[in-house]
Amino acid sequence: MNAASRTRAAKVVQYALLTLGALMIVFPILYALGLSLMSGGEAAAYPPHIIPQHFQLKNFVSAVSEAPLGRFMLNSFIVSVIVTLAQLVTASLAAYAFAFMEFPFKKIIFLVFLSTMMIPGESTLIPNYLTIRSWHWINTYQGLTVPFMATAFGTFLLRQFFLTLPHDLFDAARIDGCGRLRFLWSIALPMARPALGTLGVYAFINTWNQYLWPLLITNSTSMRTVQIGIGMLQFQDATTWNVVMAGVVIILLPSLLTLVLGQKQLVKGLTSGAVKG
Amino acid sequence: MTHRRTQTEALHAYLYLSPSALIFLAFTLLPAFYVLYIGLFNWNFLNTSMSKFIGFSNYAALLKSHDFWHSLIATFYFVLGSVPTGIFAALFIALLLMRPFRGLGLVRLMFFAPYVTPVVSTSIVWLWLFNPQFGLFNEILHFLQLPQIGWVQSARWAMPSVILYTLWHTMGFNIIIFMAGLTTIPSELGEAARIDGASAWQEFWHVTWPLLAPTTLFVTVINTIGALQAFTQFFTLTNGGPAGSTTTASFLLFQQAFVFYHTGYAAALAVFIFIIIAALTLVQMRVSRSEAY
Repeated sequence: MNAASRTRAAKVVQYALLTLGALMIVFPILYALGLSLMSGGEAAAYPPHIIPQHFQLKNFVSAVSEAPLGRFMLNSFIVSVIVTLAQLVTASLAAYAFAFMEFPFKKIIFLVFLSTMMIPGESTLIPNYLTIRSWHWINTYQGLTVPFMATAFGTFLLRQFFLTLPHDLFDAARIDGCGRLRFLWSIALPMARPALGTLGVYAFINTWNQYLWPLLITNSTSMRTVQIGIGMLQFQDATTWNVVMAGVVIILLPSLLTLVLGQKQLVKGLTSGAVKG
Repeated sequence: MTHRRTQTEALHAYLYLSPSALIFLAFTLLPAFYVLYIGLFNWNFLNTSMSKFIGFSNYAALLKSHDFWHSLIATFYFVLGSVPTGIFAALFIALLLMRPFRGLGLVRLMFFAPYVTPVVSTSIVWLWLFNPQFGLFNEILHFLQLPQIGWVQSARWAMPSVILYTLWHTMGFNIIIFMAGLTTIPSELGEAARIDGASAWQEFWHVTWPLLAPTTLFVTVINTIGALQAFTQFFTLTNGGPAGSTTTASFLLFQQAFVFYHTGYAAALAVFIFIIIAALTLVQMRVSRSEAY
């Protein structure tokens, strides 16, 4: 076998493996979509069907009426937007101070910020629950959002970005009488748009996908987020799985949409080295 | 004059840091000490003022309890079952994805998709795939003329099932990180090796693998921490069962704290988990400091 045909063979193997692998990976998501369109009987058929024989769109209607998915989606959306915006603001301000300003104990404060990444959510779960309860923040948007309004990861990401901006820019703006906040708002932040995008997409997906915290601190239907709400659909009976899958598809869509629109930002966020697990 | 200017600058800096600092203080730093404090009490979940100081009794009870050791074994099973396999599979796929070809963007998106899906929703899909009666997996086993198994409903196969789901969910993340690591390796090195007559395997083993070591270590630590913290898939797929076979330390923590209301005992367990994860994070920071900070 000569070199050319060997590279060709390698290419074919590469294609075959990747196509097969990629199809296997997305299969569960496509399968959920298929099930969500089946009738109850077909979903529970054995041997299992993969492609629906008749499309039945009313499962989506049933899912939305069986559990108030609309309300849950709204709650998740409100919580995710608030957390994302808050993280962008708090991280920008802190990153700006670390990047451009001099103050006593800068190094120690920086290390303290860094150390918060070492403290896992598991170990702060119980104290935070007790705190939120004693503040009467159970079943409130404050309880769902305030604990996540700061981000060490985002602060370092933005600080790194600010450090790449020429310091002369800052000095020149100061001499022209530009206030610090104005400099941050009209010069530094517009230039940091790629880093802000990364942080924004990352924060949104993480908050949208949250499970344990909203499970613990909400118990009223009106305050539950969509990830908790999906549990209200009927799992017991095999013939209701088409409706359950319709619910799953509904709550998968925002995540997948964010992925398609923000893939570049997400990848950048993940690869920037210091992702909190 | 200069003195005053530095003073106002410091004042402003503290002002800008304060929103983040307050949140960290209230919800990360003080709770890290508060959990130590709670662990020293027979804490009354419903009425805090009825809590009784008991010193290190919670820790002693933990070390003596069968459930604790059992959960550690389950945790190790989960970590060892998911982390190495996940890493090697992801590295293999990342290597395949490094040679440019048409449709690369789409294929990469497909591999990445599971990672952004909410664990609760996709584990519901897998719960159906795992269903012993109606599920596709048993149908595949049947087709391959292999004996059918109980998947998440059998004490023996529940953990492998959760591992399988977790591999699926985290694969995309690991691939992305490995691809980023692979792009930092200068391609001239590989070319030079090939000109010297090295086979693809030799090139990988003597050039790529050693140069990729920092990335591999990073992925290993991040995955281990992630596996130690995994909760949602256990909650949805197995709820810690059957017969406690999938009750990991993190799940036990949740159960003790919020199902049985053994708050003090669970706090002591939280301290153990904290120490293990903090140590691992420290290792990871040491390693990635040169790149990230």
